[in-house]
Amino acid sequence: MSPTLEASGIHKYFGGVKAVQGVSLTLGGGRIVGLIGPNGSGKSTLLNVLAGVEKPTKGTVTVDGRRVDRWPAHRMVGLGIAKTHQIPKPFLAMTGRENVAVAMMYGRRREAEPAAALEESLRILALVGLEGRADTPASNLSVQQRKRLEFARALATGASLLLLDEIFAGLSPEELRDAISLFTRVQKELGFGALVVEHVMQAVMTLSDHVVVIEEGRKIAEGSPKEVVENPAVIEAYLGTEATDAAP
Amino acid sequence: MKLPKLPVYGPSLWGLGGSLLLLGGVAPWIPVFPLIILVNLLIFAALAYSLNLITGLTGYVNFGHVVFMAVGAYSLGYSVETLRWHPLGGVALGALTALVVSLGIGAVTLRFRGVYFAIASLVTPLAGLNIVLVLPALDDGQGIVLNPAFEPLSWFYTIWIIIAAEVGLTYWITHGRLGYGIRAIKSDEDAAKSLGVNAPHLKLFLFALSGLFAGAAGGVYAWTTSGVFPYAAFDLTFSLLMLAMIVIGGMGTLLGPMIGAVIVNLLSRFFLAIFIGTQFIIIGLVVIVIALFIPEGIVGTLRKYVPELRRILE
Repeated sequence: MSPTLEASGIHKYFGGVKAVQGVSLTLGGGRIVGLIGPNGSGKSTLLNVLAGVEKPTKGTVTVDGRRVDRWPAHRMVGLGIAKTHQIPKPFLAMTGRENVAVAMMYGRRREAEPAAALEESLRILALVGLEGRADTPASNLSVQQRKRLEFARALATGASLLLLDEIFAGLSPEELRDAISLFTRVQKELGFGALVVEHVMQAVMTLSDHVVVIEEGRKIAEGSPKEVVENPAVIEAYLGTEATDAAP
Repeated sequence: MKLPKLPVYGPSLWGLGGSLLLLGGVAPWIPVFPLIILVNLLIFAALAYSLNLITGLTGYVNFGHVVFMAVGAYSLGYSVETLRWHPLGGVALGALTALVVSLGIGAVTLRFRGVYFAIASLVTPLAGLNIVLVLPALDDGQGIVLNPAFEPLSWFYTIWIIIAAEVGLTYWITHGRLGYGIRAIKSDEDAAKSLGVNAPHLKLFLFALSGLFAGAAGGVYAWTTSGVFPYAAFDLTFSLLMLAMIVIGGMGTLLGPMIGAVIVNLLSRFFLAIFIGTQFIIIGLVVIVIALFIPEGIVGTLRKYVPELRRILE
């Protein structure tokens, strides 16, 4: 069962820049929530606050009722919450299998034996279609493969709530199709919940049970994917006011 | 349910362990002059292994490592001169004091990364020197002259035990679960944290261990030189020599610090005999050449390009 994460009234300021201003959302129960918004709207910042990478300026984050907004990122992993990075951060000098083994040994599973972790890593790599690259140094992986490795590592921590930062960005149309079907397959198998931060509308609309839209750090809409795309405020945020006027 | 596997002991460990055992066995028959040279070499190897624990394993370049050596030296000086202890007690006190000091320094400086950590670490010997200069208990910075018995064999076995402990610990740390977390930190600290690695704790643990061993080696150093003097004890040259050893030998490797210590020591003795000061020029040149062409040091590079050696050189 995935933990319930509740964020309420999150503000995050960087000096004079108000990146996130009063966003609330609830994650959990195996739901896939999409978080969309134009460039610079505060999506990644919000994700970092939820993952414990940044401390909120105001507002609270609770997991199953426990206040966690002052916790460091590595402790959040112990609660079963793991984040991927927008730009994949593989451990370049380590092999694919070792990368995953780190997550297995330090994540929620806390596997104590490196040999057992390396063995089990193969299974996770196979889930994301990287079993052929298990013993290749991560520095030799392509961008697409690095994204998959990033995803595999988050899974390997034993997390049941994933915070995924643009894992579908920068892929070709075929790669995107593959990635979406892979995600759906793995999600069905493992049943994790996720917050999917995304630019790629196609991915968000296909995968999400619920979509949250933010603009300039504020939540402007939420609802089912269909409700959200028909919302005038969302169309305006993405396409400008003329588009709203032109719409029937 | 799986049974825990027995750790596998590799050839590097066998080689180092065997050589150390052999040295330990024949030491009583080594004539005094070569024995003193050997003790000096081993002191530097012990310092290199201690720096390897933090700088070699995590990539945090510590220019202030000489502080722990100085703390160890002063602890020995104080305990032998004022407390009238046996020098062995002084070495133990040096290790403990350096451990405490390194925990204090590390808790602050390890919050910085990369270049900023290196700069912060550069400041610590200056601070240490100026504190020692005004401490009445340490003779107001006049230095401490010791009169211990001349006992090269005791020096030898003390530093011998310290090195054996360092080699064993380095092996244990790098070959288990800890080693994976440490390599992850060295590779990408943020990614490591996002996978649950408690980076601040792990770094502080290594920093404290490195301080402990540098303190012990510094104590033995003061014991062999029969004195501690502030400007010599906090001399940055020691930090640079230790760094040179691990860079030349191979950062984070098991054999590297020993190989580096031997090379730096040989170069040092040879060129010192030609003209005082030239040894530093030569060692500096060697470090530049290594850093430019084989940044992973001798052991690291051999391991990278000769696959057959990968199993042998850990």
